[in-house]
Amino acid sequence: MKTTQTPRPGAAGGVPAAGGAQAAGGTRAAGDGTAGRPPLAVPPRPAGRWKPWAALAVVLLLTAATLSPWAIGFDADAIARNWRNGADRIVRLFSPDWSFFPRTVEPMLETLQMAVVATVVGAAVALPVSMWAARPTNPDRWTRGAVRLALNVVRAVPELLYAAVLVAMVGVGALPGVIALVLFNVGIIVKMVSETIDGSDRGPLEAGRAAGATQTQINRTIALPDMLPSFVNQTLYVLELNVRASSVLGLVGAGGLGLLVDAVRTYYRYDQLSLIILEILVAVLVIDLVSSIVRRRLV
Amino acid sequence: MTTLAPTRTDPTEVIAPRRPVRVLRAVALTVATATALVAFWSIDIQWSRLASLPGQVVHYLDLMFSAPSWDKLPEALRQTLRSVEMAWLGTVLGIVVSFPLSFLAARGYGPAPVRGALRGLFSLIRAVPEIIIAIIILSVTGLTPLTGALALAVNSVGTLGKWGYESVEGVDHGPVEAVRAAGGSTVEALRWGVWPSAATDFFSFWLYRFEINVRASAVLGLIGVGGIGDMLTSYTQYREWSTVGVLLIVVVVVTMAIDAVSAAVRRRLTDGSTGR
Repeated sequence: MKTTQTPRPGAAGGVPAAGGAQAAGGTRAAGDGTAGRPPLAVPPRPAGRWKPWAALAVVLLLTAATLSPWAIGFDADAIARNWRNGADRIVRLFSPDWSFFPRTVEPMLETLQMAVVATVVGAAVALPVSMWAARPTNPDRWTRGAVRLALNVVRAVPELLYAAVLVAMVGVGALPGVIALVLFNVGIIVKMVSETIDGSDRGPLEAGRAAGATQTQINRTIALPDMLPSFVNQTLYVLELNVRASSVLGLVGAGGLGLLVDAVRTYYRYDQLSLIILEILVAVLVIDLVSSIVRRRLV
Repeated sequence: MTTLAPTRTDPTEVIAPRRPVRVLRAVALTVATATALVAFWSIDIQWSRLASLPGQVVHYLDLMFSAPSWDKLPEALRQTLRSVEMAWLGTVLGIVVSFPLSFLAARGYGPAPVRGALRGLFSLIRAVPEIIIAIIILSVTGLTPLTGALALAVNSVGTLGKWGYESVEGVDHGPVEAVRAAGGSTVEALRWGVWPSAATDFFSFWLYRFEINVRASAVLGLIGVGGIGDMLTSYTQYREWSTVGVLLIVVVVVTMAIDAVSAAVRRRLTDGSTGR
């Protein structure tokens, strides 16, 4: 425990700063000598060492509060009762039902289609919006602030909630899924790319302005090539996220593998679920691999 | 090259350097364009439906936000609290589990087989959406908020573990060597060599993961574990748009508020430690 410290020798205790410095100087001077060496003056411990412990106490308290029966609660009995039942089902995860494969092909393709289409549309929308959201490419404070605020709002809602609402609006199918993913993608790409633009070297932009270019010309010829690597990088990243996200959008009726996940989970067919999970894993890992290769070679 | 020669008659003329030829880039662009075209052409969407979309969106936005039913607000806030509790518990459990694991998975501290296994586990977890993890867990814990918290915890271990070992590997090796040279054990090297430089990274990862979990906990409601997502799906299915509007407003405001608090805490933590 930190709190039980052994009392430190003489000088360190309550000596003011100047005294401490002197003591330290004295130690160094006498360091080469052998006898009569004063004890090493340990600098006083910085104040406020209780703060991390206070923070930890607050975190533990809040956690205990969430575990109380009025909040989430922790019903060990129910878990013990469910355990046998659940364990059987989870064991079935390890024996995938391969005969289910043919039925998963089409939803899997739809998942990938949704991911690709949403990435393309999202990236196309995000390119100009990123410029509106960054200071060097949009000096107007008000439009910039408005774009950023709108995107913060868009980013605050997860894509599955968008999908749930959009399915009710435009009907079941791939379309609400794609729209939900596009909203999700624009939020991410614009945030990342506009931060890159904000952090980029201002020199070329100022040179452009000095040469008499309009803001549009500057953005087109100077800022665009500068932001392109970051933009491609984020687009690839978003593609990875989309493959993962689009595989569950079907849970709310938005097309893709999620539709099957929903059907399978209703009947607790965990052997089929495990095949679906395997396919998601393969798809995600392949896309990650491809995009990391592309990223290394191009960006 | 040969075409350049005759143009050089005027010495003041500026000659632009030749554009470099990038075969790989061209190939990648072609493949990407082809993939996109195939996806657009083959996906099962009637693009004509897009024409009526803006009108529909305006119509529904009007239904949602013109007269929100604020009488549902207390219930919405209660459900949001439930979601945030899930996120909190999930984050804390995730931290407790991932904290030792991320040191074990770092090069130079854990044994190689353990390291490989842990890294595989982390990337496996990260590839599976949390809602599927929740579906697996609910067979044991049932449709309760605890299921949501556990699913978030599992998912948090995947990301926190990865960020953690990357951060541990990224610290300056000087202090670690100093501790080793002074006869410190591995644990002491981690405590006094690694932790002081990695601590702020860890804190901001934890906060960031909490922000992610707040969003994810809303999503987990979709499968019925409770919280704001649960409420949102039911009211969407009843097509009670005026309540859906309130719920969306609550989600946005609460998420942005938590992000703001988390950003403030992070700033305080990182500035506080560098100022010392």
